[in-house]
Amino acid sequence: MCGIAGLHLKDHALRERLGSMVTGMLRGVAERGPDSAGVAIHDPGGLRVRKDVGDPLAFADRIDLAGQTGLRALAHTRMATESAVTAAHCHPFVAGTAPAADGSPAPPGGMPLDGTELCLVHNGSFANHATIRRRLAAAGVTTETDNDSEVAARYLAARLGAGDDLAAALRRLTATFDGFFTLAVTTADSFAVVRDPIGCKPAIIAETDQWVAMVSEYRALLGLPGLADATVFEPEPEEVYLWAS
Amino acid sequence: MGELTTAVHDPDSADSADSADEVVFDLAVMSTRHVNAALRALPAGARAQVVNPAGRHNLAVGLSRAIRVRIAGPAGYYVGGLGAAADVDVDGPAGWGVGENLMSGTVRVRGAASQSAAASAHGGLVVVEGDASLRAGISLKGGRLAVAGDVGRYCAFLAQAGTILVGGDAGEALGDSLYEAVIYVAGRVRGLGTDARVEDLTDADVAAVRALAADAGFDHVDPQNVTRVASARSLYHFDTAQHAAY
Repeated sequence: MCGIAGLHLKDHALRERLGSMVTGMLRGVAERGPDSAGVAIHDPGGLRVRKDVGDPLAFADRIDLAGQTGLRALAHTRMATESAVTAAHCHPFVAGTAPAADGSPAPPGGMPLDGTELCLVHNGSFANHATIRRRLAAAGVTTETDNDSEVAARYLAARLGAGDDLAAALRRLTATFDGFFTLAVTTADSFAVVRDPIGCKPAIIAETDQWVAMVSEYRALLGLPGLADATVFEPEPEEVYLWAS
Repeated sequence: MGELTTAVHDPDSADSADSADEVVFDLAVMSTRHVNAALRALPAGARAQVVNPAGRHNLAVGLSRAIRVRIAGPAGYYVGGLGAAADVDVDGPAGWGVGENLMSGTVRVRGAASQSAAASAHGGLVVVEGDASLRAGISLKGGRLAVAGDVGRYCAFLAQAGTILVGGDAGEALGDSLYEAVIYVAGRVRGLGTDARVEDLTDADVAAVRALAADAGFDHVDPQNVTRVASARSLYHFDTAQHAAY
C-alpha cells in the first residue's frame, strides 16, 4: 500500500494554513502506511523535507506539521514492500535538478537544499528500477538508497536537468518505468500527478479556485476548506496533470 | 451494546412516519466493527442510519437480513459488500469496491463511485447516481450494476454474468475479456476491449434496460436507444486450430 497526498495553493493567502491542511490529509492516509512518514514543503524561503520511521501521526506532532507555512507540499505514509524501513528509505525523495556547469545531469543528493529540487512521493512499485538505475549510473547519476522510488526521482531530475519540462519528463517516465505507480511531484513552482497505464493505485484530485489537492483516499480530503464546492475527480491513467504557480 | 446511540426522530425525513423506529449509529463514537455487528443484529424490516462515516472502509458489509441502512456521508472501500437482502444507501461518494460480492438486495450511491464498483457481485443491484471510475463491474457474476453517469476504462473486465447499464459514456476497453455479462451504454463507447463486440438490440434487451432503469430510478435513459455490448466468445472457447500448439 502506501498513502500519498499533495497540496498546491493557488491562493497564497492560505500560506499560513498549509501545515494544518496537510496534517489533516496525512491523517487521512495514515492507515495506508503505518511504518514511516515524510513531508516536503515548498515555501518562498526554501524547501523543507522531514521524514522518519514510526507512526505518521506521532511524526506530524513531532515536527509540528500543523504549524508549518508553505505554498506547496507533499506527504507520504509508507507500508514498505520493496526496501528497508529506515529514514533514508522514506519518501519524499528529493533530487537536485540544476544542470552542472559542464552540462552533465544534476549530481545526486547530499547537497544542501536550495529550493530548486524536485520532490516525489510514490504509491506502488517499479519492476525495472534496477535496469534504469544502471542506466542512470552510466550517465553519472547515482542514487543514495536501493529504493525503487528514488530511481524515479533521480530520473525525473536528470530529465529536467537535460532540458525537459516536468510534463515531458513525466510522460517519458510513464513510457520508461514498468510497474504500478501513482506519483505526486513538486518543484519550486509546479505540482504534478501521474498514474500507471491501468490505474492500479488509487488517486483522487480535488480542485477549487484556492487550491488543488491529490490524495490516495477521499477521506483525506475531508476537512479541507471549501471541499463541498471543489471539483473532485480521479485522474485518468497515463495522463499528466500539472499545475504551475 | 452500551455504545449504541438512540433513535432520533427526523421531521425532515421524506418518510418520517415510521422513522421513529430508525436506529442511529454514530461512527464518531463507535468503531466500524461495532456498527457492523449492531447492523447485523437488527431484525428484518429495521431501519438504521449511520452518521459521521467520514470515508471509513467496510461500512455495512456482510448484512444478511432485509434491513434498510442509510450511510449519511462519504463511504470508503467495500461499502455494502457481501450483502444479502439489505438495502444500503450512501448519501455521498463511495470508494473502491462498492457492493463488492453482493448476493442480493441493493446498494445505492448518491454520488460518484471509485474503482471496481459491484466487483464480483453475484446478485442484487448496485446503483451509482454519479460516475464510476475504472473497472466498474469487474468480474460481475450475475448481479446488476446501473451507473447514471460515465464509467472509466475496463468496465466489465472479465464479467461472467449479469447486466450493466451505463447512462453516460463508457471509457476505453469496455468489456475486455468478457464472458456472458451484457453491457448497455446510453452514451458513447470510447473503445471496446478484446473480444467485446456491439450487437443488435432485441426486444428482450429493451425490456431488460427498461426494467433496470426503472429499478435504478433513471429517467434519462431511452431503452430503445442504447448500445448493447457482449462477448464475441472467441477468447474463451478453445480453438481446435490451436491444438498443434499443445
